[in-house]
Amino acid sequence: MEKLQILIILLFAPLLQGFIKKVKALMQGRKGASIVQPYCDLIRLFNKDMVISNTASVIFKITPYIVLASVITVCFLVPVITSASNFYYFGDVIAIVYTFALARFFMALAGLDAGTAFGGEGSSREMTVSTLVEPMMMLCLFTAAIPSGSTNLADIVNIDNPILTPSKVLAFSAFMVAIIAETGRIPVDNPDTHLELTMIHEGMILEYSGRYLAMMEYAHYIKQMLLFTILADIFLPFGVATSFDMIHLTKAFIVYSIKMLVIGFTMALIESSRAKMRFFQLPSLLGGGFVLAFVSLLTYLMLGK
Amino acid sequence: MRDLIDFASLIDFLSVGILLTAISMNSLKRLESCIKAYFFNSLFLTLLIVSVAVVKGESHFYFAALLNFIVKCFVIPLFISNIVKKMQVTHDVEPFVSNSLSLVISGILIAIVYSAISKGVYVTGLSKNVLQISVAVILISLFVMISRRKAITQVIGLLFMENGLFLAGFSLTYGMPLIIELGVFFDMLMGVIILGVFAIQIKRLFSTTDLDQLTKLKG
Amino acid sequence: MVMDLSESTLLFVIAALISLFLPSLAYLISIAGAFSFFVLGLSLLSNSASGNYIFKLTPFFDLSFGGDNISGFFLIVISLLTIAVCLYSIGYTKSLKNKRFFGFIFSLFIPSMYGVILSTNIISFLICWETMSVLSYFLVVFENNEKSSKAGLIYAVMTHIGTAFIIALFLLLSYYTKSSDFSVFKALSNNIPLPIKNIIFIFALIGFGVKAGIMPFHYWLPIAHPTAPSNVSAIMSGVMIKTGIYGIVRIGLDILGVGAYWWGILVLALGAISAVLGIMQAVMEKDIKRLLAYSSIENIGIILLGLGGAMLFKFYSMNALAALSLTAAFYHILNHSVFKGLLFMGAGSILHATHTKNMELLGGLIKKMPMTAFCFLIGAISICALPPFNGFVSEWLTYQALISGFNAPPSIVKIISPIFGASLALTGAIAATAFVKAFGITFLGLPRSSNTDHGHDASPTMTSAMLFLSVICLVLGIFPNYFITLFSYPVFNLTGGSLSFLTRGSITIAAGSLSTQAIALSLIMTIIFILLLSRSFFGKPKIEHGDSWDCGIFTLDSRMQYTATAFIKPLKIIFKRVYMPKREVKITYSVDKLFVSSMRYGGDIAPFLTKYILSPMFNFINNVSDRLKFLQSGSLQLYLSYILITLVVLLIFGM
Repeated sequence: MEKLQILIILLFAPLLQGFIKKVKALMQGRKGASIVQPYCDLIRLFNKDMVISNTASVIFKITPYIVLASVITVCFLVPVITSASNFYYFGDVIAIVYTFALARFFMALAGLDAGTAFGGEGSSREMTVSTLVEPMMMLCLFTAAIPSGSTNLADIVNIDNPILTPSKVLAFSAFMVAIIAETGRIPVDNPDTHLELTMIHEGMILEYSGRYLAMMEYAHYIKQMLLFTILADIFLPFGVATSFDMIHLTKAFIVYSIKMLVIGFTMALIESSRAKMRFFQLPSLLGGGFVLAFVSLLTYLMLGK
Repeated sequence: MRDLIDFASLIDFLSVGILLTAISMNSLKRLESCIKAYFFNSLFLTLLIVSVAVVKGESHFYFAALLNFIVKCFVIPLFISNIVKKMQVTHDVEPFVSNSLSLVISGILIAIVYSAISKGVYVTGLSKNVLQISVAVILISLFVMISRRKAITQVIGLLFMENGLFLAGFSLTYGMPLIIELGVFFDMLMGVIILGVFAIQIKRLFSTTDLDQLTKLKG
Repeated sequence: MVMDLSESTLLFVIAALISLFLPSLAYLISIAGAFSFFVLGLSLLSNSASGNYIFKLTPFFDLSFGGDNISGFFLIVISLLTIAVCLYSIGYTKSLKNKRFFGFIFSLFIPSMYGVILSTNIISFLICWETMSVLSYFLVVFENNEKSSKAGLIYAVMTHIGTAFIIALFLLLSYYTKSSDFSVFKALSNNIPLPIKNIIFIFALIGFGVKAGIMPFHYWLPIAHPTAPSNVSAIMSGVMIKTGIYGIVRIGLDILGVGAYWWGILVLALGAISAVLGIMQAVMEKDIKRLLAYSSIENIGIILLGLGGAMLFKFYSMNALAALSLTAAFYHILNHSVFKGLLFMGAGSILHATHTKNMELLGGLIKKMPMTAFCFLIGAISICALPPFNGFVSEWLTYQALISGFNAPPSIVKIISPIFGASLALTGAIAATAFVKAFGITFLGLPRSSNTDHGHDASPTMTSAMLFLSVICLVLGIFPNYFITLFSYPVFNLTGGSLSFLTRGSITIAAGSLSTQAIALSLIMTIIFILLLSRSFFGKPKIEHGDSWDCGIFTLDSRMQYTATAFIKPLKIIFKRVYMPKREVKITYSVDKLFVSSMRYGGDIAPFLTKYILSPMFNFINNVSDRLKFLQSGSLQLYLSYILITLVVLLIFGM
């Protein structure tokens, strides 16, 4: 049963991506691609031949495996529809953040590996953004962890916290900023473009093709869904089953789907209504997020809620 | 033999001889006479050790005396005069202060030492007199080192100081174990050799043994 | 049977003498010596008391050596790295000039560190401390050029300022306890009035902080460490700076015990400053060894975060938390010595093969020196605290301790502990950037100069030393609980709290659990799973090789790559208040102001602390010393007269 939850994320991650793309297209007045288009893309890419740069080394070849493996490892640590599992005690939120960092570390190296300017640019920008985002994310997670007295996500979910406390609202907004940055969405990054002035994530994986590209893209979808799930676990912790009872699980799955759709819709809304920021204006956005996270933690410590 | 001589006064006499040879350094102008003064200084020291050995009747003091005699009265003076010849040093020792002034200063130093040591309670093997003299010899030879220019006079001053230290140690402890004395002799011999070599090197580098030139080394 | 302490030391002396004739054999003997100290350390850690070794120096002073749990831990840290570095040195020193003399000093330097750890009274401690400082000075200036002698001078001056504070604190301690033994200090430390305790503690922070490279006393570290030969840098950055931490632990936690509540906060603050500013400097460096040296400052900061937490919790009698916090610090001490040693060895191999430390001249080395690249990558992952390697475990423990800091009673602690938590997160993120840069620019992409032409993997001994440490990095990361158990005695002695949070296979504490074994297993299994699944569903992929995409210009060369400077330019701009970058563009025109014949761009950063604190301080000291210069005229007679005057004055006062 525990594996079931992992399968939920592995199976539906491309669907969530397709949903967000569809919502965006509708908002822009286009018809847009089908909601299952990401699945087709992945299968197509998996079947394609690969071109690998002569400059690239072994790092380039192992990176897709490590990136995909680390995001799948995080899947084990995140409660999706039930908080009863032994897997959750293998790692806590800190482990989750650092396992994501492992993926990013290799992705940035792979960007430098091919010896092009685009890859270096992508790596450099990605690492810069992560310097600003990681502390912010940590502080948000601390704010969630302290009331429950544990950094393990399952414990955070289990504690029946009121949702609308001053500290949680602040932390929620900061975490949204963090997710936007981590998933490479407007206004931080633009996932739909290959213009060298704007791209961050796309710059790093520019040299990838075929199966490796599919793996990188798939890892990206999974990471996005995981971050949404963590957001739901921490700030909308209702409706998560505490057992493996089939009825509860079904109920929890429905609630979870609604939560994912709502968060996905919000993301698409934000992306459609904002313009991409200049790279060097990012610090004001991310710095603002950092201050929000810091204030949320202080609020909790001072007010106690 | 033992009853014929008043050993206490003999020891006092010998130590005054050591002091006098040390003071004489202040008025000597020629390097050769400085070396001679050192020879006499060491000779008096040897005699002092012998007389103590006679009083105490301990055989290893004789050995120490013999060693002292060989090293300080012959080996070192001969070695230094050899260096002096090799370097063709001019005869004068070129003091910073005039002879008369340095004599006065020596006197003041002795006065200070005598008054300082007279008050405290010292457990001495020999008379208190010997301790006072030995400290005075140390200070005077230090002053000699200060007031002379030539590297070789510094070495002689150091040797006088060593004699003073030896005397002080001897007077306080009634002689140290032989092994330590052997070590000290060996040390001093090495020290003199090294200093001699240094003096020659300095001479070669600066074409003078004048230590004032060393200030040029400062950055 | 545990070897006797003096016999183990004798091995090093023999090694030193032998190295004058047969350098390689000497390192093997040193390995044996380090191994016997390792065994001694293990037996000390498991709470068996060792005999005291006392050598009579004079009737009043003895040299006395002995050990307890705490020194046992530090012995293990030193021995582990020493074994690897000695192995590495066999190959590394072959091409060194004066290698015999080098081996002589090196073999004596190691036991001097052991001596510091094992000293049990002031005299032996100070003698060993000075021996260590002087010998390491010789090793810093070993390459004998203008740069190294300047670095050596800075090192010598700074380290002696530290020693002055250490002597002062020992004098204070022995004045109030009428003894020179550490055990008596500890027994009687309650009698010392609190203001004096405070002074002693501050002195300890300054005196040992200089050696440990804590900001703002770190000035010498990034200058001296990179200048020394790489195996020495590994020892200095890996373990010698830890003797400073040992001093702070010994004086602050062991001897003085509980002081004022602000002690812990002060240490935490120093730790946060060192960690953040250290890594911010590191990320800007082009010189790979300087980058590593600055990162040592950062890691010392992380260790201090654990140590400060332990002091704070101990003051409020939260013993279990104090134990957790100190365990984090201890584990990071061990981990840092392993991966920093590994990284410096890697840098040494690069330097050995390419004759440059400048990353702007390197690139693409992974193809020419694959083993070195592999080991350096392991070191980089470990130091970035990425799971499942060892750095992650100790940072995880530090995070857990800091989060619990929110529970400490005074509100000031509540307000500042989020800052420490955030600064650790910031440190981790910048460290990742720094080591992506260090590895990526050096080993990946296209070669940037002809220096890389002769790139080759190092000799078998060097490579095996690096592999040895890489394996230790992984083992310490995957099985942390077995190693943390080893620290339980010293941690209990220092904090009164026990490590009750260990279970088989994972670390479980009140506030969270972690099993790096499970994470590692999951990573490996998932990779195998992905490989099998994609092969079976889609078949073996067809791979074509081609050039990197060059936008159609066909002449993609190494000058179009991102450079080390370019890579961190965004950070430099974002944190411009910290870096205060200077920018200089020089353009020369050939005709009028239309045709540019050449353009030069120069950029520099002014480190915050150096500009506002250290430079004014150095200027002040320089001015004072200039005025006091006349005392040091260089005239022998003048010096002698100082002695005479002192003697006469003493005699007069004795009257």
